[in-house]
Amino acid sequence: MNPWLPVGGLVAVLLAAPLALSEFQIVLLNYIGLASIVALGLVLLTGIAGLMSFGQAAFVGVAAYTSAVLTTQYNMSPWLTLPVALVLTGTLALAIGAITLRLSGHYLPLGTIAWGIAIFYLFGNLEILGKYSGVAGIPSINLFGLELGGARELYYLIWLMTIGASIAVRNLLDSRSGRAIRALKNRVTMAESFGIDTARMKIVIFLYAALLAALSGWLYAHFLRYVSPQPFNLNSGIDYLFMAVIGGSGAVWGAVLGASILTLLKEWLKDLLPYLMPQSGNYETVVFGFMVVLFLHRTREGVIPYLTRLMPRKDKPRPSLEVAALPRRAQPEAGGTLLSIDQASKSFGALQAVSNVSFEMRSDEILAVIGPNGAGKSTLFNLVSGVLPVSSGRISFLDQRIDRMTGREAARLGIVRTFQHVNLMKNMSVLENVALGAHLRSSSGVVASSLRLERAEEARIMAEAARQLDRIGLGDRLHDPAGTLPLGAQRLIEIARALAADPVLLLLDEPAAGLRHLEKKALAALLNDLRKSGVSILLVEHDMEFVMGLVDRVIVLNFGQKIAEGTPREVQSNPAVIDAYLGGIE
Amino acid sequence: MNKLLPLTLGLAVSFASAAVAQEVTIGVTLGATGPGASLGIHYKNAFQLMPKTAGGLPVKFIILEDNTDPTAAAKNARKLITEDKVDAIMGSVSVPSTTQVAMIANETKTPMIALSPVALPPDKREWIFTVPQPVPLMMSAVVEHMKAHGVKTVGYIGFSDSWGDLVLSSLKQFAEPAGIKIVTDERYARADTSVTGQVIKILGANPDAVVVGGSGTGGALPQIGLVERGYKKQIYHNHGTANREFIKVGGKSVEGAIAPTGALLVPEELPADNPLKPVATDFINSYEKAFGAGTRNGFAGYSYDGFKLLDAAVADAAKKAKPGTPEFRQALRDSLENVKNVVGTHGVYNMTPTDHTGLDNRARVLVRVDNGAWRLLK
Amino acid sequence: MNLSLALWLTQDAVVNGAVYALLALALIVVYTVTRVIFVPQGEFISFAALSLATLQNGKVPGTVHLLIATGLVVAVLDGWRMAKTRDFSRLPRLVLFNIALPLAVAALAWWSASRPTDVWLQVLVTLGIVIPFGSMIYRLAYQPLASASILVLLIVSVAVHYMMVGLGLVFFGGEGLRASIFPGFNFDVGILTISLQSIGIVLSSVVLMVVLWLYFGYTVYGKALRATAMNRIGSRLVGISTEFSGKLSFTLAALIGAISGILIAPITTVYYDTGFLIALKGFVGAIIGGMGSYPIAAVGSLLVGFLESYSSFWASSFKESIIFTLIIPVLLWRSLGKHRIEEEEEE
Repeated sequence: MNPWLPVGGLVAVLLAAPLALSEFQIVLLNYIGLASIVALGLVLLTGIAGLMSFGQAAFVGVAAYTSAVLTTQYNMSPWLTLPVALVLTGTLALAIGAITLRLSGHYLPLGTIAWGIAIFYLFGNLEILGKYSGVAGIPSINLFGLELGGARELYYLIWLMTIGASIAVRNLLDSRSGRAIRALKNRVTMAESFGIDTARMKIVIFLYAALLAALSGWLYAHFLRYVSPQPFNLNSGIDYLFMAVIGGSGAVWGAVLGASILTLLKEWLKDLLPYLMPQSGNYETVVFGFMVVLFLHRTREGVIPYLTRLMPRKDKPRPSLEVAALPRRAQPEAGGTLLSIDQASKSFGALQAVSNVSFEMRSDEILAVIGPNGAGKSTLFNLVSGVLPVSSGRISFLDQRIDRMTGREAARLGIVRTFQHVNLMKNMSVLENVALGAHLRSSSGVVASSLRLERAEEARIMAEAARQLDRIGLGDRLHDPAGTLPLGAQRLIEIARALAADPVLLLLDEPAAGLRHLEKKALAALLNDLRKSGVSILLVEHDMEFVMGLVDRVIVLNFGQKIAEGTPREVQSNPAVIDAYLGGIE
Repeated sequence: MNKLLPLTLGLAVSFASAAVAQEVTIGVTLGATGPGASLGIHYKNAFQLMPKTAGGLPVKFIILEDNTDPTAAAKNARKLITEDKVDAIMGSVSVPSTTQVAMIANETKTPMIALSPVALPPDKREWIFTVPQPVPLMMSAVVEHMKAHGVKTVGYIGFSDSWGDLVLSSLKQFAEPAGIKIVTDERYARADTSVTGQVIKILGANPDAVVVGGSGTGGALPQIGLVERGYKKQIYHNHGTANREFIKVGGKSVEGAIAPTGALLVPEELPADNPLKPVATDFINSYEKAFGAGTRNGFAGYSYDGFKLLDAAVADAAKKAKPGTPEFRQALRDSLENVKNVVGTHGVYNMTPTDHTGLDNRARVLVRVDNGAWRLLK
Repeated sequence: MNLSLALWLTQDAVVNGAVYALLALALIVVYTVTRVIFVPQGEFISFAALSLATLQNGKVPGTVHLLIATGLVVAVLDGWRMAKTRDFSRLPRLVLFNIALPLAVAALAWWSASRPTDVWLQVLVTLGIVIPFGSMIYRLAYQPLASASILVLLIVSVAVHYMMVGLGLVFFGGEGLRASIFPGFNFDVGILTISLQSIGIVLSSVVLMVVLWLYFGYTVYGKALRATAMNRIGSRLVGISTEFSGKLSFTLAALIGAISGILIAPITTVYYDTGFLIALKGFVGAIIGGMGSYPIAAVGSLLVGFLESYSSFWASSFKESIIFTLIIPVLLWRSLGKHRIEEEEEE
């Protein structure tokens, strides 16, 4: 089935709907559209990026009030107030985002509740906003002389924007920026080590969600033509989140579906309950809450993922390799000094994890760092890859100090790593996981992605990812969710992702762990092959057999200190090393 | 198209039966939940007592819940007007919700009985008729009482909502010309657990009197706080507060509180020749029979008075057109605009094209809490 | 502003802060053990305060019927599960807690409604009504979702909150109620007038916190809860069931909520929806404590109390705006003060 078929079908149904539906059903659809646009932002923000926000209703309100005040008191055209509302809401979102998005964990949702409430009370207290009685008499939108006064006329505009916004978000998620956004949820360290500016990305999607809310607010003002604080309170913010979660907070169409389900459920309860319990309508919220709980017990991911599972999976076609390759960086001259570590130390409180370690690494060399458990290998690794700053000493890469760099800056220089604990996005396809590695080799932003202006570059990214997967022998699993592959294969995907970043220095954290014998041999062959193409490799490994056959030189750490350095043969016969290992086994 | 299933299900249920000819259909949207629940429940209760005919025609009420949310109220209004083809619409319990419904009523040319004040300019109220006493009418009585008792400064504490705004602006309207200075504008929310800060601020200003702009039991909290901390001067309330629950919650602290209200609260004490006495007495008798002794409540009275207005107008309109038609709605509006001497539970309504409330000073009395009950202040 | 004003405001701040601190405590207990951000915590307060006030008016509150009904649903669901596994060893327990106990409470409530002056009986009945809801709510709403994401659990919490507020409105109506426990007794300390009630609140708060501290530190059940809080899988391995600690933590939350409700019922007007705002402020306190540290949460709650009290004096119409805006820098400070540890929650 063509992926556009459901969308096309939906559009056709929506186009025809006003012909078949009554006035009030159109009104309901308008309400659904308005809510869908806000919920879409939440799908992006909460479902995809894991940033929970209760404050979206406040953004809706800011835009609605902006348009209300400008059209009623300054006689501006709604078409002029739209950009003003967007800019104003956007500016506010940037300011709020700059502060609250730095909040981590549970602090963020509370932060959103806090400014959501603060803005609500501001609406009610400002004279220019009509205080608690609001602003009435907002004009309707005029489109080329056509007055969009009634629900029926506005219907097309609302749904045009709803569908447009949905497609934009869908496009966005299926792009370079989209992969970066998805990595924000629980994968920040990994994302940073591939050069994704996660702090900036968070603000960008926060802004994106706020602008969607603003669009909805502008439509709200000219649909209801009266604004007051009540519709933009915390409860509405909660309702929007409800919609996103019930529809399926990880799926774009979940927003539209969630908004439909909630709006219609409330309407339905309003009609039905008085018949069942004639005394009063007070049971609505009770039954509503009950149904939501029951619903989440049945399908906790929301409706869309549930439906998707029922349907057969349709893979996209294999990306074509017949496109220009992504640009590659110049590899440094073979044999020169690549990495130089000079008296590097790292302490965590009283614990000296790495102390005064010094060594150098040439380019096109494969160097292994070995040592017993707790020797400080991973810490050293984190120092080189920029995950941790050094406590003292210096680390240079191609004559450039990197000991204070972040992982993101290190990635820009071509230092790319894999993780000891597999750090893949399990629900994303193998191909997309690897494509994330090529983040720094491409440049399209959020706007270009939403509008599909980056397809040429996207094709090149996909081709690169497919090429790397072919290289590690997983070319036949491109579209499987990464989490469904065995652990050994997941480790290989980590390597493919690193390769997609076109590394100068490849840092591998225990790449052979969990691999079977034949896989190890294949990996060793791959690494040898890489070295020939000019990539230098620094690896931390437990598996002595694997290391000894592969690497040029070995550094041995114990208790955070370097105890030996040399060729595998030299190190193997070093008494200090034997002692350390035997001592470790003891 | 799985998306359509819930849609059709929901919409199918949304269809209501078309109005039967010759039956007058009244759409009602009220918030018996949400922030206005304490008022909304009383408004809604009154509809259980409504007569079966209006102006001689059978009448049907379609009552929808709006959770005191203007957005939901708008949805209800659209539904009532377009699906149920109501001849008139009544609602709602908060100023914003009522205003939102009023805009739609005006736009769709549906006569509306507003059960709360409407925040719209007069030219947008062509189809709107308001039942409750305008807040200025009530506050003018309060200010007159202040003036008579030599009050020079008054402290204000009210809800942080449109009601709090409205009571204050009406107080200002009369207090300033009367030479009474408003020295504080404090706000609190109904659900606040403490108003200590506000109370202390008022005590610091030490005004000759305090006006509380709350409603229902919410009006009691500031008075309790003030009395607890030794404020001994007069405390005034407004017509949103005058009910029994207020006294139950306030107990001894609210003794002596003065509030303006309609006749409904104290018909027993009205002189026998007052035209409101029989109507108000009948209504509270049946209301208290249904909901318990002492449950009389001004808000329920507004619902009933709204019906009385329709009752008076329908008879006239029915002569010109059939219910369920735009002509009938036009006729209903026209006759609503000209109803004369409709006696309700709160006051006597005389509408004119320029006055869509039609109440006069007969619609206000001052009452005082005296030994745990509201008594007419003579 | 002079000294006496400041003292007045401080007293108000401390009393309110003490209530928020209790709630923060309950929220943290529930969160650390079950990962549930328990939005309906405030409803326990409303239920308790309004049930008490209703009993004092000589009526049996609707919460009693709800208790019987909820207990019955739990009994049927768990009974069904037992029938399927043919393991009836826990049947007596099930019947005792979910059928016998609610019926006993109901009987007591009826008796107490006829004795409007017997305050201690009313308090006892109120506790009896509210506390069992804790484990019942856990059983019905959260237990089937024990492994769900925090977001889903939060949405369930909001839904449960809607249900409880809706039921509160049905049972108690839209108007507020007040209860009285001790006779109005105030005494003067210098320029301050202190009411017995406010001392009661602060004292109860402190006592409850100390008792909980002892409970967590020195009893088997308390240690079990702490173990679950630290490591879910680990504690299951050593035989502490998630189910048990979940129910226990919710029971504690209900207990704290019930006590808070009884404490505030005499000093303010409680509405069916009062609890939510109180819990929200307790939540702020809990968050300041990082959803983990009781002492910092208590300090945070006091901070909220102070912000509230002083802002209601200086600019009451902007009170909520001020509280919630000022909270953001505090959160920021707390958030930056922590080591950034990436939560690698499984997708």
